[in-house]
Amino acid sequence: MSMSAALQFSRSAGRQQRLAIDAVIVTAVFGLLLVGLVMVTSASLTVSERNGVEPFFYFQRQFLSVVPGCTLATAVLAVPIAAWRRLAPWLLIASCALLVIVLVPGIGHEVNGSRRWIRLGPLNLQPSELARWLLVTYIAIFAVRHQTELRASAQGFWKPLAVLGLAAVLLLAEPDFGAAVVLCVTGTAVLFVAGARMRDFLLVCGVGAAGVAALAVLSPYRLKRILAFLDPWSDPFDSGFQLTQSLIAVGRGEWFGVGLGSSIQKLFYLPEAHTDFVFAVLAEEFGLVGVLVVVLGFLVIVLRSLRLSRLAADAGMPLHACLAAGFGVWIGLQAFLNIGVNLGLLPTKGLTLPLLSYGRSSMLVTLAWVGMLLRVHHEVAVSGKSALPPEGRAQ
Amino acid sequence: MRRRDGEIEFDALQFRGRARFLAAALTVVSLVLVGRAVQLQVLDREFIERQADKRHARTAPIIAHRGAIQDRFGEPLAASSPVESVWVNPPEFAEAGEGIPKLARALGINRQWLEQRVTSNLDREFLYVERHVDPVRKEAVRKLTLPGVYFQREYKRFYPNAEVTGHLLGFTSLDEEGQEGLELAFDRTLKGVNGEKRVLQDGRGRVIQNVEVVQAPSQGQDLVTSIDLRVQYLAYRELKAAMRQHRARAGTVIVLDVATGEVLAMVNQPAFNPNDRGQYEVARYRNRAVTDIFEPGSSIKPFVVAAALASGRYRANTTIDATPFRVGTLTVRDKHDLGTIDVGQVLARSSNVGMAKIALSLDRSHIHSTLRALGFGEVTASGFPGESAGLLTGAGTWRPVNVATISYGYGLSVTPLQLAQAYATIGAFGVHRPVTFRRVDGPVAGERVLPASVARDLIGLLEEAVTPAGTGSKAAVAGYRVAGKTGTAWKAVSGGYSTDRYLSVFAGVVPATAPRLAVVVMVDEPQGSLYYGGDVAAPVFSAVTSGALRLMTVAPDDLARVTPLAAAEEGL
Repeated sequence: MSMSAALQFSRSAGRQQRLAIDAVIVTAVFGLLLVGLVMVTSASLTVSERNGVEPFFYFQRQFLSVVPGCTLATAVLAVPIAAWRRLAPWLLIASCALLVIVLVPGIGHEVNGSRRWIRLGPLNLQPSELARWLLVTYIAIFAVRHQTELRASAQGFWKPLAVLGLAAVLLLAEPDFGAAVVLCVTGTAVLFVAGARMRDFLLVCGVGAAGVAALAVLSPYRLKRILAFLDPWSDPFDSGFQLTQSLIAVGRGEWFGVGLGSSIQKLFYLPEAHTDFVFAVLAEEFGLVGVLVVVLGFLVIVLRSLRLSRLAADAGMPLHACLAAGFGVWIGLQAFLNIGVNLGLLPTKGLTLPLLSYGRSSMLVTLAWVGMLLRVHHEVAVSGKSALPPEGRAQ
Repeated sequence: MRRRDGEIEFDALQFRGRARFLAAALTVVSLVLVGRAVQLQVLDREFIERQADKRHARTAPIIAHRGAIQDRFGEPLAASSPVESVWVNPPEFAEAGEGIPKLARALGINRQWLEQRVTSNLDREFLYVERHVDPVRKEAVRKLTLPGVYFQREYKRFYPNAEVTGHLLGFTSLDEEGQEGLELAFDRTLKGVNGEKRVLQDGRGRVIQNVEVVQAPSQGQDLVTSIDLRVQYLAYRELKAAMRQHRARAGTVIVLDVATGEVLAMVNQPAFNPNDRGQYEVARYRNRAVTDIFEPGSSIKPFVVAAALASGRYRANTTIDATPFRVGTLTVRDKHDLGTIDVGQVLARSSNVGMAKIALSLDRSHIHSTLRALGFGEVTASGFPGESAGLLTGAGTWRPVNVATISYGYGLSVTPLQLAQAYATIGAFGVHRPVTFRRVDGPVAGERVLPASVARDLIGLLEEAVTPAGTGSKAAVAGYRVAGKTGTAWKAVSGGYSTDRYLSVFAGVVPATAPRLAVVVMVDEPQGSLYYGGDVAAPVFSAVTSGALRLMTVAPDDLARVTPLAAAEEGL
């Protein structure tokens, strides 16, 4: 990633500071990006055949998402966190507008029964990806700005939750159940770390549990369908089809995998092999070793982000702390939910694996978000109030 | 930590704790994921492997090639060559929508038929659309690149000599199983046994990897037949010409090697082209030479004479009163009253009266056993599918009138092959050899059924039938001595015998001094003004044998009678 843009920005702003980059996160992100490029290429070979395009079509597309993604991250890295704080209302308006626009017939583009796309010339954009980032950022800013309210009253907790709820309803209208869950949980987690009262928080958890219980009582059939993932082998050719194929892929990997390119499950058995189930192909081709590497990669990013958020809190920079926590929770949640689906621990929902799955919107937004995290790190490091060395050498 | 103005300050300590809690929670989640991965990839390995095998592994056949059929010199008569068959995966194909009309057009098949076939088989993954597609249509289909349309390499039987060997070889099914003719008779030799291999397939059922050979295929063996393709062509050409000339209903020519019992040629008309299965017509598929029986008429006479000579009561010059006489209700007569003639004249002029007189004077069981020993009334050893045994009732049931009619070829039925075999036995000077369609190397012992002297005498008598004075003069071959007999049989119709439907036959052996070939020519229902065996069948015999003798470089045994002019004409 080129840092020159950020450096120039710093100079033009008159501060002669070195950019403090968290090399651990950058290494983990680049490692996962590389694994992703390799796996998308491997998994998409048969998809290319099915769709009648060149074998490396999806590799090229993915590569052409990574490059602008890194540029975007560099650009975001140059934006001071204070600027985001000033833009707060616009973040809310923009994200809600995106989620509404995509539902408008004629603008929103429907694929496989879900209205998730906006077509902009040659580009297909998934506004929910962008809205997710903007909304989590907004919630963090809100939670810090309304610290007193949040810590003192139920109101302060319920207001941002209402915003999340509205966004979730819009996402469910697409429908994009997975994105709604990820957004709500991430937003709630940000409010949680920001200092929401424990009783309010537990109440929310209680309401959520009650909702699931109500569903179980009122609509046992639906619950059964959702829980079908628990025993995919009972109906392996219908409802359990995707899942059994994914489990077979993972299981075939054993310790060291069948070798790059040798996956059988990607050969028209596993649907969405290059997007939602790219992890299963990885597990088949690289075995438990590959699984450990990827899970560890994400865990490093998660723990590093949460560590950064603690350091920011110590330095008395609550917004930085909330933003870092928001990113850490989001990427961990999104990645582990996707992996959980691939491993048959969760019902199949259309969730991408950040940094690995094929998909331009997801890639651009994830990298931009990484850029924001790096900015948080930089500002915390150069504040002089934290344990982070301003020279940006990783500890 | 309240500020004085009532604002609650950010609580870094609490934040730290909660952030640590989130980190711990997400770490636990990641451990759960790793644990699950260990379970799937290490612990449940066997279960998953079984499930994977169920979907990936199947056994596929290793196709064994069907052996080729060759003539005695190795010329190909039937061979398998690779072709493509078009198949579809119905659900995948139907999903694509407009594929059906495109495919139907490219293959030139009915669109409704295809649509019906595809939609009624949506639960299947494999459906043949068209077997054995020619390369032009295959290329047209390939260019469409329709989803769910695939090709399968198969083998199609080709018969390079088409009609010429049609009846003889028969044909195979689309799956290369022998259905008729030699293809069926020697199916076990020709057909290989398919092997089996374990393969991995992709999600569309296509083989992606060969795992192991479970059972190696055993390839089919080539069949070297006794046929001499050159003689076969000759017989085909001459018979077809005669068929056209006489507007006959059917016809057969058989050429046997006297010394070995091998079938050198066997043709029938009307013929069929086994490469074009469109012209399906059961009647055309029959190899009349072995399946059809007919009343042989005069062509049986030499064998009754053989019985007479073997009895010791007749010699070639024994005289017989050939004036018409009555047997029971039947008056036996010839076209002209021939008066008193010797045995040679009886054959040469084909006298029914003479034959009946001779037969009635013999022990009827002696006649029966002689005919039986010559192979009448039982299937030959050829093994040809659908071969008929003919009809020869036991001597005990014969009344005098039966004895009389049998002596000139009515009241018993034979196949052309049986007749050829009997003539071959005479030609072998009384040694009966099994008929075979496989090439025989080296001498065949055979079984003596007639004293050599009787056979020699009989051949001498049969030579007279081909002299200008005999009925079979048109069977003569320049340079060779021919011994043979004409036959013109009335055809049996319901309630008696037809007076305008004939079977014209000529059968004989050449060269008479040391016979090499036994040839039977049969023309069924010639429509022209000519219908005698001597006029219709004998010329075909002459043409086929003269050509065959020369192709086989048999030394002429009658150069004395060839005038220089005739020799020049005949190209000797």
